[in-house]
Amino acid sequence: MASSSSFLPSATRGVLSSSCRPAIRPRTMPPFLSGFQQVRPASQTRSKKAAPPKKKGGPKEFKQGNLDDLEQFALCDAMRYLRAFEVGREPASSKYEVHIRMKTRRDGPVIRNMLRFPHSVQTESRICVVCPPGTRIEKEARAAGAVLVGEQEVFDAVLAGKIEFDRCICHPDSLPALNKAGLGRILGPRGLMPSVKTGTVVEDVASRVEMLRGGTIYRERDAVIRLPIGQLAFSPEQLRDNLRVTIDQIKKDAAGLNDRITKEVYEVVLSSTNGPGFSLNGEFKTDNSPDVSALQGA
Amino acid sequence: MVNFFKRMRKLNALLDVRTGTGAAILPTAATATKEFPAITRLHLTYAQKIYGGHQGARHFWRKCLPRLKFHNPAIPMTVRQTTEQEIPASLTIYFSERTSDAASLLAAKITDKHAPKPLDTEQSAILELKDLDFQAIWNKVAKVTGAQEVPPTAADLAQRARHQEMDAKSITDRARVAEIRQQRADRERMLKEAKGEIEKLKEI
Repeated sequence: MASSSSFLPSATRGVLSSSCRPAIRPRTMPPFLSGFQQVRPASQTRSKKAAPPKKKGGPKEFKQGNLDDLEQFALCDAMRYLRAFEVGREPASSKYEVHIRMKTRRDGPVIRNMLRFPHSVQTESRICVVCPPGTRIEKEARAAGAVLVGEQEVFDAVLAGKIEFDRCICHPDSLPALNKAGLGRILGPRGLMPSVKTGTVVEDVASRVEMLRGGTIYRERDAVIRLPIGQLAFSPEQLRDNLRVTIDQIKKDAAGLNDRITKEVYEVVLSSTNGPGFSLNGEFKTDNSPDVSALQGA
Repeated sequence: MVNFFKRMRKLNALLDVRTGTGAAILPTAATATKEFPAITRLHLTYAQKIYGGHQGARHFWRKCLPRLKFHNPAIPMTVRQTTEQEIPASLTIYFSERTSDAASLLAAKITDKHAPKPLDTEQSAILELKDLDFQAIWNKVAKVTGAQEVPPTAADLAQRARHQEMDAKSITDRARVAEIRQQRADRERMLKEAKGEIEKLKEI
């Protein structure tokens, strides 16, 4: 079809298409005007070019779901289900875990800290202390529960390939000896080499050992902090205490980060080694939950 | 973030913990009768491999024990998986004071060295589980202990129907998505081939 619009000069076309369209649009278009439709795409692409370029990158914040879509549980109910999922498992190997979802930006600092539970979760980690032998420090370290204490004996054991500890801390007085022994190549890759930067070279060895023994390290990854929170044999009260301490500390960490950064706890999920995740609603128990004394032990 | 609906789908498993074979309440101190004394704990022993009739015992642990544990949270239940293939799979039931009459009839004359010793106030009965499937094991356990089955509630049944609907729908959805993916893969392959031909022409 020879479009009727082609008779019009191109300038008129542009004028008509922009000014007349609102008037024409609601009516059914008469056939002689149908040419305007063909013109339209061209005019639109032109206006698009003028528009600002598309924003680069994804959203600035982590996506948050609507918690109303989620079924949420009281602590005792979640524990009852998890204990059913974990039935017959080795109590030492199965644990309760908590996943704390933060409301936060994608960039910026992350929470990274250590915490000590009121009820210890881990079968205790073995700690090695490097300090001058025969001093008060050595005695204190041993009293605090360090497995391996000393200077030369530690170096010998490590050089012989016997690394029977999970953490290693050092007293500043022994640091030169440690550096001289050349253990960095052995301990370094394992992340056990004491250094001032990681806070494993300390004056007050004893209190540090105490802390490390019951301490759990946690960090935020993709807006979620995951950490073991209790043994399966824990009572609901013990678990609640641990949870409370964890959440309090994380809130404190979030508050202490930076004035401009806002980070807040969005969701708390309780799960276990072999169980699914239960979003907690903050209640301790409901009318249907079993007796608290029933939810502990094997 | 894991999609909330995906997470909720995982929780469909909760229905299977509440209902099904083994969803029953064992007699406690409050509900014990003369015929069926209270149950204090359970212990299951079976071997790692399934030959020698150990399969049913493992299935019993997988399927029935979570339900039993859910409905009897206060009763400790332990499971021991051994590498000793030749000893029979067995379930030790600990009664308070004395065993039930059915237990004394059905109990096997075997010992389970992995089962904890009964306390002074307990009497244990051992059931032999060799070559039994989990349903048969459950029937035996129910008979011995006098467990009261927990029937599924109306809400549970409705949920079960919903899950079945979801499962049926996911079959058709899977086929639909597979077709879309196949089409996309075909398109990409054809495009690649066409490009390859152009390259060839250029070389000539």
